[in-house]
Amino acid sequence: MSVRLLALIPVAVAINLALSAAVDAVGLPLFLDTTGTILTTALAGPVVGILTGVLTSAVNSLRNPTFWPFVAIQIIVALYAWLAASRGWFRSLRTAVPAGLLLGVIASVTSTPISYFVFGCSTTGGIALTTKLGQLLGLSTLGACFFGSFLSDFGDKAVTFALVTTILHALPRRTAARFPLALRAVGRA
Amino acid sequence: MRRLHPFTLLTIAVVLPALAWILPAPRGGAAALSVAALLLLTPGVTPGFGVARTAFLTAAPFWFFLYLLHGVSGMVATGLRLSTMIASFVWLVAILPPARLVEAMVAAGWPVSAAFLFSATLQAVPALRERAQRLVEAQRCRGLATRGGPLVRLHALRALALPLVLSALHDVDERALALETRGLVAGARRTPLAPPPDHWSQRATRWLLLLSCAALLVWRVV
Repeated sequence: MSVRLLALIPVAVAINLALSAAVDAVGLPLFLDTTGTILTTALAGPVVGILTGVLTSAVNSLRNPTFWPFVAIQIIVALYAWLAASRGWFRSLRTAVPAGLLLGVIASVTSTPISYFVFGCSTTGGIALTTKLGQLLGLSTLGACFFGSFLSDFGDKAVTFALVTTILHALPRRTAARFPLALRAVGRA
Repeated sequence: MRRLHPFTLLTIAVVLPALAWILPAPRGGAAALSVAALLLLTPGVTPGFGVARTAFLTAAPFWFFLYLLHGVSGMVATGLRLSTMIASFVWLVAILPPARLVEAMVAAGWPVSAAFLFSATLQAVPALRERAQRLVEAQRCRGLATRGGPLVRLHALRALALPLVLSALHDVDERALALETRGLVAGARRTPLAPPPDHWSQRATRWLLLLSCAALLVWRVV
């Protein structure tokens, strides 16, 4: 791995964790905690993306250890972002937003068993309350757990994909050319 | 306790939650949590009761939501396990400075790039968080509307996130240059300044803990 990619990973982890300040400022129910993972995968491939995701979960766990079991989601996000980048889905918002919505479905399907078996669906306040809402609507506990995860992940991943697309297109061509896969991800290569 | 090798501390923090999940609930979770709670109150954990309070405050919402979703028995079974995980990791963070873990990794022969990734990330996160906060304040001063309908908020989010991420990516070149001038290349080895001592008894304890965990898992599954 080149020194530039090695320097990119800590910055990408910091992006994953620092964007919460922007989210708090606008008061939207989003996480954006996979932005750096998706961005690094689009810029430098799946290995860098997976390392970013795993380190994000590890550093987040130092603050709150309940983040660690969700490391699998970060890995799946990196692999999916690799698929999206190689298919050129970051070419425009018209392709990126549906790709993000699909990732939202995949992420909620994957996080539901973790949330159910490890946390009894009590991961965060918002998800726990939507799970309770699902129970009140007559869903089974597992179904309600998926309902809660789906509501939180669906919009979040679409916005994250749109944001990464905007960032990739805003990158100066000279900067983008320094990363091996950036131009291909936005369909300029 | 603080003098134990970082890998031994890490093993204890991993094994305790694993035991809480492997052993039958609720007694297994209660036993594991008792050990984790004792560790939290061990001399060497600073700032003492403050750490126990952090663990309690992190775990408390889970108990509430578990009660809401599963009633008393479900709350106790899962709550004990989750609290063990939280207490173990809060204890680990309190007793093990990251720099000591990095020294142990380098001494154990890990590539210096792995040690760099861990320590550089721990430094980069608070720095970028601070920059994000400054950006939020600067954009507000310029009159950026952060409240209103969803589209207004999404527009504001773009105006906050884009400069933050682009400036962070701009830093990558400077960091790469600094690393190259310090000779950080693939396969490079470093000599740790103060490697933590690793006695054979600690290595044996680590293996014993991990093997016991594996044996108990097999016993539970079969």
